[in-house]
Amino acid sequence: MNDSEQAPLISDEGEVGFVEYQDFVSKEPFNFESGGSIPELTLRYETYGHLNAAKDNAILICHALSGDHHCAGVHGIDERKQGWWNFMVGPGKPIDTTRYFVICSNVLGGCQGSTGPGSINPETGKPYNLDFPKLTVRDMVRAQSLLIDSFGIDRLHAVIGGSMGGMQTLQWAIDFPDRLGRYIALASGARHTAQAIAFNDTGRQAIISDPEWKEGNYEPDQGPAQGLAVARMMAHITYLSDVGMESKFGRKRRSGDQSREHFEVEFEVESYLRYQGASFVTRFDANTYLYLTKALDRFDLHSPESLDATLSSVTAPGLVVGFTSDWLYPPQGNREVVEALLRLGKDATYAELAMDFGHDSFLLRAPQLYELMHRFLSR
Amino acid sequence: MKPIDKKRQADFQIIAHWVNEGDRVLDLGCGRGVLLEYLKQKKSIYGVGVDIDLDKILSCVKRGVPAYQGDIRSMLATFPDDAFDRVIFSRTVEQLDDADAVLAEGLRVGRRVAVGFVNKAFWLNRLNVLFKGRRTVNEVYPKPWYESMPTNPFSVAEFEDYCDARRIVIEDKVYLSGDWRSECSKFPNLMAGYAIYDLASID
Repeated sequence: MNDSEQAPLISDEGEVGFVEYQDFVSKEPFNFESGGSIPELTLRYETYGHLNAAKDNAILICHALSGDHHCAGVHGIDERKQGWWNFMVGPGKPIDTTRYFVICSNVLGGCQGSTGPGSINPETGKPYNLDFPKLTVRDMVRAQSLLIDSFGIDRLHAVIGGSMGGMQTLQWAIDFPDRLGRYIALASGARHTAQAIAFNDTGRQAIISDPEWKEGNYEPDQGPAQGLAVARMMAHITYLSDVGMESKFGRKRRSGDQSREHFEVEFEVESYLRYQGASFVTRFDANTYLYLTKALDRFDLHSPESLDATLSSVTAPGLVVGFTSDWLYPPQGNREVVEALLRLGKDATYAELAMDFGHDSFLLRAPQLYELMHRFLSR
Repeated sequence: MKPIDKKRQADFQIIAHWVNEGDRVLDLGCGRGVLLEYLKQKKSIYGVGVDIDLDKILSCVKRGVPAYQGDIRSMLATFPDDAFDRVIFSRTVEQLDDADAVLAEGLRVGRRVAVGFVNKAFWLNRLNVLFKGRRTVNEVYPKPWYESMPTNPFSVAEFEDYCDARRIVIEDKVYLSGDWRSECSKFPNLMAGYAIYDLASID
């Protein structure tokens, strides 16, 4: 009834520490929603915590476009960077690994170990490249369900994801209503806005117009590095916000810019984005980028009939979180999902966090997000 | 559930009496979701709360009450007619920007609407202004004007005039005296500290 009922921020946090990835291999043919198929598939994944005897404490985390299966801990002692959601996943953290068995897998179509366009087609001995079937968010989710089956898990405690992961999460709630106890979709929505599609296509055009792309048939260690870097730079701008960039970079200059050529790096923000672009090409495959962005552009819960009709199968309680400064997946797009769920009489909650860091806000540690996740998971 | 002993829960029992078993209930300005939790336990309702404040939504999440953070008016606009059996405004109307339009929307989206509010014309409130030149501060409204939400208080007479002008049907009403507990029947505009209405639209 008053502010004293607010629990203090969780203390006594620990780390998941050293982790190793695993590969799940299905030798069965996998049929895509588009009609194509592949003879077998691999999903690379990590787990944290322990699956209980009843097998009812598992949480699936779905990653975003450029994310991967490594969401917490470190792979080795010299790895400087922890998993992408390390602050959220671990002992005593909102996704508490002392209570939950946490699974995070690289998506189907990905390039971090799961089967994707860059994988070798066992039938030809060559990479699929553009022969890889057209991919949808629903395909990603169905592949994940096979991984969940392999653990003997009938029902997940929760499915959680942000951005592309949020769309997978919604798809999980729609396609497998009996297999999840609750879900949390952060910074996502029912479909891309025209602006989001426009950004994605500009990125795709940067890749496709790079001569090194070679109609998708580049050698595994080569590829359209320039095009992919530009695509990443532009996409990265859409993950931030005007206010966030201003406070982080402003008009700060790199030192010694006077001696440089006119179009060399002059401002900090240029340096940052070029670094983002250059490092992205070392870990990401251009064809995967094309496939995943296209899957996101086509994702549309308003289709084939209406948003309400699509969401009518949902049974689990859901939490949808929008971020005020997110101009890629704006609050309105998150809100409309909950409005539809409430029209249908579902148990759904919408929260909107006032954070300055744009779309990527869900990847940042914020006390209110912490509270929200913690409370929703333990209710 | 603790017995209802708090003044701020004055209208709980009355609203619970009006709500039917299993109703779909929308609580506008739901705060921490206490009323919806109460109705869920008493009448097994499907309830949704709406509040603008994230902190309140956090409490609703803790209570297991579905909640929507956002603007009441634009949220109501996304619902079809009679989407809810009951729409509740418990000490909410006085904080609305466009009370007239939002109440009309509430009556469209809800088959019945409950409105509870503090009677501005209650004798103590009059005396406080007349003799002290200050508004009433009590356990529910403990904060001085500069720390509280903007509010547009009104009286029992003013509200009934409004219902009359808008041809809103008052199906039932309860006046509570200054303690917000015992009922008062005479001279409500002067004697009621709190008033609760069960409203319906003519159709």
